[in-house]
Amino acid sequence: MFSLFKKKASSYSATLSPSGKVINVKKGENLLTAALYAGIKWPYKCRVGSCGTCKCKITGGKISPEIDFSYVLNFEEMNTGYALACQTVLKTDVKVTINLKK
Amino acid sequence: MKTFYVNARYLIVPVMTIATILGIFIGNTFAWLGVILFGANTIIDTLTRGIHLRADFDDNGNSFGIKRLQYAVMYFMLPAFIFLQVILAWRLYQYTAFIPFNDFSFFGIPYQDGITGFNLIGSVLSAGLWAGLGIIYGHELSHNRKEGFLTSRLIMALSGASHFTYAHVYNHHLDLGHEDDPATAPRGRNVYTHAWLSHAGQSQYSYNLEKEKLLRQRKSFFSLSNKWILGYLYSLPSIFLFVWAGGFFGVLSLIVVWSISNFLLEALNFMGHYGLIREKGKPVEHRHSWDNDNLFTSWFFIEIGRQGDHHVRGETYFWELDDVDAPNYGIGYFSLFVLTLIPSLFRKFTQNLLDDWDRNKATSAERKIANQFSNFS
Repeated sequence: MFSLFKKKASSYSATLSPSGKVINVKKGENLLTAALYAGIKWPYKCRVGSCGTCKCKITGGKISPEIDFSYVLNFEEMNTGYALACQTVLKTDVKVTINLKK
Repeated sequence: MKTFYVNARYLIVPVMTIATILGIFIGNTFAWLGVILFGANTIIDTLTRGIHLRADFDDNGNSFGIKRLQYAVMYFMLPAFIFLQVILAWRLYQYTAFIPFNDFSFFGIPYQDGITGFNLIGSVLSAGLWAGLGIIYGHELSHNRKEGFLTSRLIMALSGASHFTYAHVYNHHLDLGHEDDPATAPRGRNVYTHAWLSHAGQSQYSYNLEKEKLLRQRKSFFSLSNKWILGYLYSLPSIFLFVWAGGFFGVLSLIVVWSISNFLLEALNFMGHYGLIREKGKPVEHRHSWDNDNLFTSWFFIEIGRQGDHHVRGETYFWELDDVDAPNYGIGYFSLFVLTLIPSLFRKFTQNLLDDWDRNKATSAERKIANQFSNFS
């Protein structure tokens, strides 16, 4: 019950795998913007959730998708935690796997 | 003070939309207020064509824009545009039911019961022009948040163009400057042809997008999960309202309103990327969009004219978009819109600009594609 009154975090952390780097993601900010701000060379193209270039896998924690991922991700990806970083807002601290060599 | 100035300047359309609604409500020649305002805006836009401002940030790089306020305004525009249609339908009913002319007052606002055919035409044109400006909110909300996306779809559905929201995000932003994007006008095309081709092309894209998605999800095409079908269903209340209110005249009026509003939407697409070229698969860069960012256009169209920045940073709120040295028409949307209506004049105006783009901004591969259009530009 008291969790109702718990102050919500103003930012969350995203631990990137395999590098192990931790980035700070402000509340309401998307994962890609935070990563680029932190100097991560995260692959991206459209930044509106239509190309799929910034695709990553959320392996821990909760996110809120800003748009429907099902137009870009396939059935298997949808069911195994994949997300589009440019349209991903964090709800908790998360763990993310990303292929930066793309 | 700066915060007030930055946020209040984007309230021109909401205020003028309310004025247009009031004009139709008051009746008589006030029914033409929406048309008059549109004309006055064209003059103001032309007079301020030389004033170009940058986005406003404080010393720490933070924007003065208040997100909650700007979103509240954008969400408010949905009921405002609905009310615009309801008030027009009321006038249609008055005309077809031969309501006699009488002067009344409603909470202190004087209005005339009954409407002449001439003033009904003014009401329809006013409603069409201002419904068409719904695109600026439909567009902005298509890029932000789930409830914003739905609001965008509902605003666009009021013009029978709900497919726009999906086509804009998944097609236009990905394929702009290429023939795969129906919203990009190639050199030589005029705005009238573009309006048809772009509208049909975007709807076709949205249809295919849903077809493929539902196939992947092993669902029937004819289901409520089909956003293409759902989008057109969202437009049904408008159709019912106008048929109920005006019968034949109602259908005719709705056709006029939708034609005007969709023409304005496609004119914006036309102006945003006319003649610019991008190789398929290459990154979208600032040079692939035209900026229209003089003072009045920027404020009125909530910075939709900063296309160069928007297409590279699609997730950026409109009040944070800035001048990025994209190709620039140098004039505002209202002034340019008048030029697009006369295709020969528009081609003449853009000739030097496109020549400059080919020489100074295009890659050699883009220049090669541009040469294929040399007979048309």
